[in-house]
Amino acid sequence: MLWIFLLGIPLVGAFVTLAVSNGVAKVTAEVIAGIEVLAFIAFLVGPRATLDLSWIPAWGIRFHLTADGLALFLLGLTAVMSLVAIFASKADYGRTYFFWVLFLEFASMGLFGAVDLFLFYVFWELVLIPVFFLLTGWSGARGRLAALKWLIMNLFGSLFMLIGVVAVAVIYQQNTGHFSFEIASLTHLAISPAAQPWIFGSFALAFAIKAPLWPFHGWMPDAYGEAPPPITSLVAGVLSKAGVFGFLRVMLPIFAPELARYQTGLLIWVAVGLVYGAFMAVRQRDMKMVTAYASLSHLSMIALGIFSLTAAGIVGATFLMVAHGLMVGGLFLILGVVEERIGHREFNGVMGLNQGAPRLATYFLFFALAALGLPGLPGFAGEYMIIQGLVAHEVVFAGIAGFVLVVAAWYMLRLFQGIMQGRPNAPAVADLSRGQVAWLVPMALLIVVIGVWPAGITSQAVPSLFHAVHFVADRGGKN
Amino acid sequence: MGYLIPEVLLAGGALLALLAVAMLPNAKNLGSWIVLLAMLAAGVDAASMWGVTAKLIMSDTMAIDKYSILVTEFVLLAGASSLLLAWNADRFGAELPPLMAISVLGMMTLGTAANLMVVFVGIELLSLPLYILAASTRTRAGGEAALKYLLLGAFSSGILLFGMALLYGATSSLTFVVYPAITAANTWLLWSGLGLVLVGIAFKLAIVPFHMWVPDVYEGSPTPVTHLMAFGTKVGAAIILLRLLAFGFYGQDGSWGTLIGYLAVLTMIVGNLLAVPQLNLKRLLGYSGIGHAGFLLVGIATHSVDGANAMMFYLLPYGLAAMAVFGVLRLIEGQGDEVTLSDLRGMAYRRPWLAAVLIVGMLSFAGIPLTGGFVGKFFLLQAALFASQPGLAVGIVVGTLVGLFAYLRPLQMLFQRTEVSAKVQHLRWSVAGAVVLGVAVVGTIGIGVYPAPLVHIVSQSANFYWLTGG
Repeated sequence: MLWIFLLGIPLVGAFVTLAVSNGVAKVTAEVIAGIEVLAFIAFLVGPRATLDLSWIPAWGIRFHLTADGLALFLLGLTAVMSLVAIFASKADYGRTYFFWVLFLEFASMGLFGAVDLFLFYVFWELVLIPVFFLLTGWSGARGRLAALKWLIMNLFGSLFMLIGVVAVAVIYQQNTGHFSFEIASLTHLAISPAAQPWIFGSFALAFAIKAPLWPFHGWMPDAYGEAPPPITSLVAGVLSKAGVFGFLRVMLPIFAPELARYQTGLLIWVAVGLVYGAFMAVRQRDMKMVTAYASLSHLSMIALGIFSLTAAGIVGATFLMVAHGLMVGGLFLILGVVEERIGHREFNGVMGLNQGAPRLATYFLFFALAALGLPGLPGFAGEYMIIQGLVAHEVVFAGIAGFVLVVAAWYMLRLFQGIMQGRPNAPAVADLSRGQVAWLVPMALLIVVIGVWPAGITSQAVPSLFHAVHFVADRGGKN
Repeated sequence: MGYLIPEVLLAGGALLALLAVAMLPNAKNLGSWIVLLAMLAAGVDAASMWGVTAKLIMSDTMAIDKYSILVTEFVLLAGASSLLLAWNADRFGAELPPLMAISVLGMMTLGTAANLMVVFVGIELLSLPLYILAASTRTRAGGEAALKYLLLGAFSSGILLFGMALLYGATSSLTFVVYPAITAANTWLLWSGLGLVLVGIAFKLAIVPFHMWVPDVYEGSPTPVTHLMAFGTKVGAAIILLRLLAFGFYGQDGSWGTLIGYLAVLTMIVGNLLAVPQLNLKRLLGYSGIGHAGFLLVGIATHSVDGANAMMFYLLPYGLAAMAVFGVLRLIEGQGDEVTLSDLRGMAYRRPWLAAVLIVGMLSFAGIPLTGGFVGKFFLLQAALFASQPGLAVGIVVGTLVGLFAYLRPLQMLFQRTEVSAKVQHLRWSVAGAVVLGVAVVGTIGIGVYPAPLVHIVSQSANFYWLTGG
């Protein structure tokens, strides 16, 4: 039952927001997103809820959602980030804007909860639509182009994945004589060797584009750059997780043998992206782009953890997904404030904003340090687990990951110094307002909490990753 | 004879409406009311026959089965929605309702046809009123559209008739449902005949490379008539193609299945590709309709029960989306006949609900989840893969991707902040239009969210169990 609330509150709330006047739309959306956070807390303390209804019986499709340890904290991330994003939005964006944000929350909740492949795909495509309209209607000068790039590139991957989804179900039907789209039952399929790489590739491509992973990040600079800051933080913080989440949720159960077979190739692929993202971040002059490429690099790090195919690496990736969502989401919001204050996104040399705006500088530093992986903050714990997973058998990639952590410190501190420190060469700007501090403090607290107590998440995630861990153990105890 | 009551009701309604508009020229909407009620009655009567066991009637010239009943319901929906879009518009002329009724009658005839002569009668009944209706605004563009449609339609009818003659020569029978039983047929004549018949139907269905007439005719015709062509004609032509091939030629899928498959891929890609640069929305929808005809062909090309079901399923979401989009167009155009992309500027801010309807329709055309169009594409993909034809599946995906560009540009126009177009500012809602839009949106989202009932219904109607792979 709880699931109905978790999905129903943002969906019904979105239409409520559309029905109220523009003046109170923001408040309405805030209240709805707040209730959603409360619903999630009920989820957290209540029994582990699932929802399993027959949907299209002729094809064995079920409306099946569950909040296992893998999904639970991503659902929380969605609830929290949506609330924060609504708080950080301008009230004059109008009710349609808040409608789309709440609709996006609904679709993301469904995406992270779905364990039926068809349902997963429905939400997978559905999350694209609100972002498309948000980019079209409420973004910068080149927003329309960014919106087109976002939708077309993502649907390019998704539609080929749809062939994969149908192919998997067709193969299951031919193997067993009946239909099912339940991910858990689609394991151990007898896929013909000729079709195998194609089906595997169709899924991997879609997930890589959504994340995005190098070299499928063509939509990223435009979309992150043009979107209003709250939307950038939602896309980078929440939706980018959908891509790597897909590897865990869909590919690990269905394509476990294939993942093992292609492991070296996959590791090389994401390692290239890891290094590429980090160095691209170093050479950007646009502060949003630094964070965008940093995020690209982090997502490659998460993928590296998954493809390590070790328990530690996969648990680390699960943890880092949540942590990264909060850190990068917060960073984009702060950059949004900075951009609003100084009127542009370039940072040439030093600007010394910390003189006039110490609170802004402090929070900026906090999120930057979290993103670069300072011990005690969650980025460190996640990256540590990933490297631990890699060290045993893939030590080269562990070395690359360690090296990139150093580069991360370089680009993050360069960004901080460039904007905040030094002798002011730009007019002083206003500090954070009370309203802005109000949503930054809880985020920072959350980051600290999961940073010092990662077990809160990992202990939940490990049982859900049982299948994956089990599979790893089958391969000769590579954990 | 009770099986033909829906046809009789509609024919009676058409005649009565014709008399009524001639005798009482000042009674507003009288003809429309008569035809609408006749359509409703026909629809109810056809639905009441749902439990029928398949049988041939009228000396084996017509088939009554769940397939024909479902077709009847689809084309009546097309006819009724076109009629409602033309409500209160005197400039289309008082003879519009009876002509539409006759055209819908032709489509219903196609649904039941089991004999080549009935096919021909159905196609002519469908087409002749449309030639007149295309010119019913008496504008230059309308006249041009009507003339083009008439000439090419007559040309294709000639080809069709020639093909039928060859088929008769090869088999000594016009009743195509018995063809598989005729073993002594002259194969050379048979294949030539089938080829020509396919060309004739391909003209009506607007399959590439027989699609040239579509954009001009769609653009020049009044919007309600364009809607009838886009929805009704497509249903009529697609279902007779399926019936003819599935009943008359099911043994030889090796030859025509492959051909239809190539045509399907070509049509999906070319149709959608040509839709991309269009600025006039009716032209855009014309080309997109060509693309959708390609999707329909996929269902036929797979030569399986799944494919037949999928094609049958696809028709309804397609038609509902057409209702949504043409309904919006009709409201925007007002007294004109043309809507361009730039007329949509700023609609999302000035007319949010109308914009929402357009968004739903376009997203369904594009095949986005929670709309009927997505389930239709999913069904087709499933049929293609079950038939072991991944090429068709890739064709669907590429066609959809290309189509996206065409559907997204109008949607982006809705959010253009700079200026609101005059047509949007002076737009007036009408009750009849609102009914069409309401049905379209509820239907589109309803099928998208809970497709199980429709899946069940089509799996009963297009249950050609003798097809391979069933």
